[in-house]
Amino acid sequence: MKGALVIARREIASFFGSPMAYIVIAVWLVVAGASFDFIVRYFAESASRGASDTPLRGWFQMPLIYIAMLIFAPILTMRTLADEKQTGRIEGLLTAPVSPVAIVLGKYLASLVFWLSLWAPTLFYIFILSRYGDVDRGAVLSAFLGVFFLGVGYMAVGVLASALANSQTVAAVLATLALAGTFVLGLGEYIASDAVADILSYVNVYGHMEQAAAGVLDSRRVVYQASTAALCLFLAIRVIDHRRFA
Amino acid sequence: MIEVESLTKRYPSHEAVSDISFTIERGEVVGFLGPNGAGKSTTLRMLTGFLAPTSGTARIDGISVLERPIEAQRRFGYLPEIVPVYDDMRAYDFLRYRAELKGLSYRAAKREADRVLELAGVVEARDRWIAKLSKGTKQRIGIADALLGDPPILILDEPTVGLDPNQIRHIRRLIKSFEGEKTVFLSTHILPEVEASCSRVVIIRDGKKIAEGDPRKLREEAEGQMTIVIEGPAEPDRYIEALKDCAPVKSARRGEGRSVEVEAMPGDESLDAIFNAVTAQGLGLRRMERRAASLEEVFVGLTTVEELDS
Repeated sequence: MKGALVIARREIASFFGSPMAYIVIAVWLVVAGASFDFIVRYFAESASRGASDTPLRGWFQMPLIYIAMLIFAPILTMRTLADEKQTGRIEGLLTAPVSPVAIVLGKYLASLVFWLSLWAPTLFYIFILSRYGDVDRGAVLSAFLGVFFLGVGYMAVGVLASALANSQTVAAVLATLALAGTFVLGLGEYIASDAVADILSYVNVYGHMEQAAAGVLDSRRVVYQASTAALCLFLAIRVIDHRRFA
Repeated sequence: MIEVESLTKRYPSHEAVSDISFTIERGEVVGFLGPNGAGKSTTLRMLTGFLAPTSGTARIDGISVLERPIEAQRRFGYLPEIVPVYDDMRAYDFLRYRAELKGLSYRAAKREADRVLELAGVVEARDRWIAKLSKGTKQRIGIADALLGDPPILILDEPTVGLDPNQIRHIRRLIKSFEGEKTVFLSTHILPEVEASCSRVVIIRDGKKIAEGDPRKLREEAEGQMTIVIEGPAEPDRYIEALKDCAPVKSARRGEGRSVEVEAMPGDESLDAIFNAVTAQGLGLRRMERRAASLEEVFVGLTTVEELDS
């Protein structure tokens, strides 16, 4: 799998060499930071709250965070495969001695790094919180593990969209539709009847993150994200491999 | 060694490559000649594993490209029609990346990148952004890419496209220098390219192989004669008789129906001479048409003058 690592490294260098990376990260940090600021002020002003109500959890209850995620996640992945196809460079990749598996995994690995680079700076918020009060380390760990697994799923969906689309724009639109669609579907957990709600709880990203921030990392949702990733990557590999038979 | 056996690529609307077969032995430099759109790139794509053939097989050193693509791909360097460079990389970094992709270690990749920059004559572009390079330089970086890892086989799709005359000379010398050492298969629509670098040529048109052999001999063959079909009210034998002493005519024989097929020297003067010889005998003439030999037709479709293309 050396090929995958070589591809991932190039992809990462290319991403961080482009202005797009810094625009996305900057806008994201403005959104995340403003939300965090709002929550901290809110907690500072209102006195009595339950033990499970923490600024961390409050932060992951902010709708703006999710809106930003649904917009930015597809931007991170849109370029990966669609651009190779759009430019015709895919021929150079597929005729080099690397398998479609290595190509897709390399692009995916790089996308995960992009995802983590969005979130890494927000660890600083936790540092600020810890300066002024007690922070539940377990909850922080579970929140960021939740973020990681969310990325595992989201980046795979994005890479699949990029494998299917012939342009970056189409890839981004496809991924946004898929991610926003499942996100809204997941919210159905709160309004649907018991049996249906139980099923929808699997795809409820909002509930997944909100609970993870409270220190409860539901294994069902981890399994959901991991299996989404496995399925999407499998399909992306098939799509790339199948190009030969076009 | 490259073996192509009844290779065919069929699309819903048309057949891009039909039943092409040829073999290229180790150390040969072979040209793949044909007009634009003849199916050259499609053939090379099947040969390199980018496209799967509808039927037929392509083998590299005996390894089926379709069945064991990675193993086959380790043995050749390939310059695709679209040079797969990234605009946001420097030439040297791109080649190092490609070398690692082809399985070289980090250190070997660094060494190889510099070696191929030198071979392809693009050392001056080493530390420049690819986006800023001219088309000819990008093309030569693509050639450098194909040379990474010193593969025993080179498959080059129109290697000199976009190069200036000096650069063309450099690349042709380079290709020529591989003769006897590497197996080279290069496609082109430029006749002098084949004559300059190749010991053998495979000619393709409309997806079909129409000739194979020594490029100069084939050219002479194609240019050396022309076929004219004539027909009139008199018996065919009388026309044949009338053309016996006509200078540009090499031979005349009965054709389909009442027609006569005449082999003559190429050129419009031959047409005049045939007409005069026939009418001088008082024979009528109702039909006279030039039937181009398929090989000649191909050469007509090719770019025969360098300047047109560079």
